[in-house]
Amino acid sequence: MRTRLALVLVVVASLLAVGCGSKGGGNTIKIGMIYNMTGSQASLDAPSANGAKLAAKEVNTAGGVLGKKIELAAFDGKSDAATIANSATQLTQTDKVVAMLGFSDSDMVMAAAPTAAKAGIVFVTSGATSPKLPDQVPDYLYLACFGDNVQAAAGAEYAFNTMKAKTVYLLIDKGMEYTLLLGKYFKDRFTELGGKVVLEDNYQTGDKDYSAQITKLRGLKAAPDMLYIAAGPDDVGTIVKQFRDAGVKKPIMGGDGYDTPLLVQVAGAGAEGVYFTTHSLMDASLGTDAVKAFIAAYQAEYKTPPENAFAGLGYDTVKLLVDAIKRAGSADPKAIREALNDTKDLPGVTGAITFQPGSRIPQKGVTVILVKDGKFTLAQEVVPQKVPAP
Amino acid sequence: MRPGSPVLRLAPPALLLALLALLLAAADLFAGDYAQRIVIGIGINIILVVSLNLSSGFTGVFSLGHTGFMAIGAYAASVCTLPVALKAVNLPSLPGWLSHSALPFLPATLIGGALAMCVAFVVGISLMRLKGAYVSVATLGFLVIVQVILVNWDQVTRGARTFAGVPPYSSIWNVWIWAALSVYLVWRIGRSPFGRDMKAARDDEIAARSLGVSVIRSRLLAFCFSAFLTGVAGSLWAHFITSFSPKSFFFVQAFTVITMLVIGGLGSVSGSVIGVFIITVLSEVLRNAERGLDVGSVHIPPIYGASQVLMAILFVLIIVFKPAGLMGGREIELGSFIRRIVPRDWKKFRRP
Repeated sequence: MRTRLALVLVVVASLLAVGCGSKGGGNTIKIGMIYNMTGSQASLDAPSANGAKLAAKEVNTAGGVLGKKIELAAFDGKSDAATIANSATQLTQTDKVVAMLGFSDSDMVMAAAPTAAKAGIVFVTSGATSPKLPDQVPDYLYLACFGDNVQAAAGAEYAFNTMKAKTVYLLIDKGMEYTLLLGKYFKDRFTELGGKVVLEDNYQTGDKDYSAQITKLRGLKAAPDMLYIAAGPDDVGTIVKQFRDAGVKKPIMGGDGYDTPLLVQVAGAGAEGVYFTTHSLMDASLGTDAVKAFIAAYQAEYKTPPENAFAGLGYDTVKLLVDAIKRAGSADPKAIREALNDTKDLPGVTGAITFQPGSRIPQKGVTVILVKDGKFTLAQEVVPQKVPAP
Repeated sequence: MRPGSPVLRLAPPALLLALLALLLAAADLFAGDYAQRIVIGIGINIILVVSLNLSSGFTGVFSLGHTGFMAIGAYAASVCTLPVALKAVNLPSLPGWLSHSALPFLPATLIGGALAMCVAFVVGISLMRLKGAYVSVATLGFLVIVQVILVNWDQVTRGARTFAGVPPYSSIWNVWIWAALSVYLVWRIGRSPFGRDMKAARDDEIAARSLGVSVIRSRLLAFCFSAFLTGVAGSLWAHFITSFSPKSFFFVQAFTVITMLVIGGLGSVSGSVIGVFIITVLSEVLRNAERGLDVGSVHIPPIYGASQVLMAILFVLIIVFKPAGLMGGREIELGSFIRRIVPRDWKKFRRP
């Protein structure tokens, strides 16, 4: 017993000694990066982290910024709030980073961003789309992606103006802030345009059986022109498949939660005629020039094409920070924040980024995608006319 | 003074408390924010594990649903302490009397604990009649019910959306006062007649019944009190993390606490504390190591997820070689430790 205990202590002590050995960093600018490489968020966060690392590598190959190399001090958030908060504290105190980036989910952002704000450095989230986020952490929290109100408004306008839909069936996942907000914003904008929500229903994240919702939909006297289903990436495939199998042929629309290979893999032929709004079309032949270049570079670095648009968002976020550092002319956190506010027409894989005065959510175009022959195709690039208030 | 005199009996715990206070003061004054966060995290986990031990370890009613009580404590206390201005924004449809006032930390925490205890009483009346795997499954059901209520009770919990803006009231001191109190109380209960009833009912229910032990009553007592402490820990956790959502209190959290309990040893209070220490420190060390290391001139690239794998292997090893956990249901006896150092006839040296 006692020798075993001693053995454990020795192991712990040696690990501690190794773990504390800090890496020397003289001529570098350190940017903190926390993504959930493991756990429930990994399917969105791991591509984001790869995109971010690719951007840092490109910047460094091109000579760095202000004559210094960019170093991404990275932690795995493990999809766990306590771990994320600890990591954020380490990044501000031990690594002394000048800015931080990460995450595709507002819960995760809220675990890290207040720590960054306390230390006076900005936190830029690459993929958490809640437009309510910046108000939760005044002055220091920025989005590199559009807000859910923007993509929902784009979807509503496309549905009403282009698809000529006048009535809609709305299905919302009650288990996620993202889907709740998305559904609400869509309803706001669609009814404002003159459309009508004929039936609103909900389900819970991870539900496997949607027959109750389908029965209610079929019980309607007149079938709605289309369906808007606010769902997360893990559920979209199952939902679309079950609605299609039950004979629902009308177009289905959703948000960037649909931007996952799972949609076509799970729903199969049922995915035909599904529209969704997202950050960009990650397709080597149909995408924009920036997207094509990004896909080629990503393919060369990781031997796989980008898994989804979140890879592009991670890439753009690092470029956004580097641009701010360059224009600030210094790696001082305060100067970076001021330069970030003045970001204007910065080109990116997922669209150009501009921060309007007083807003920390960029104005970006929204890509509407249509699934055709089992592939994502570009339906339209949309800039919504009017956006519901967050 | 006789060996059993109050001074000698109270000396070990007093010394231990003084030592603990000294260490905490050092951490408070000299340690960086990161180290302080770990110290606070350990304190909260100690309350969670020790209280689960009271219910699961002492009575043998293995509860998988305690995280539900943690959620109740966290949400109840946070609704109480949330600043009034934030309540108007985040929880606009809160009932009147709650929306106009924000309570201080201590009363809010007590309310959180008390609410968890009340729920435990209602649930426990029926659940404590079950035993073995049945009670585990039933408590798991309770956890799912709590989860569904939290997600659907929008007016009070914000539903599935992030509950943010909780004031960061938890400090090294208030957390560790609760932790020390929990350890002391659970330790005392374990040695009280109540505790002996619990353990008797655990080891042989029929024999205990035949001796007049009310099995249900002793289990219910343990369940309710343990729910109270878990609710308190939930409040402390909420005011430590400051933003959370219902999914923060689900299977992942439940199994983290259960792992610490099983590694330390079911039924041993000191084992619980040791389990928390080992798992917290080791997972932090491994988490830092997996970022990539420089050992001498060799650079090991980051391997994310390696820390979870290594921890899992360690757990398997511990369960294989020490199936009853590190302490195996025994306690570290402070008294006998002191007695071994201080000779029994120490008076002789003073009175020649």
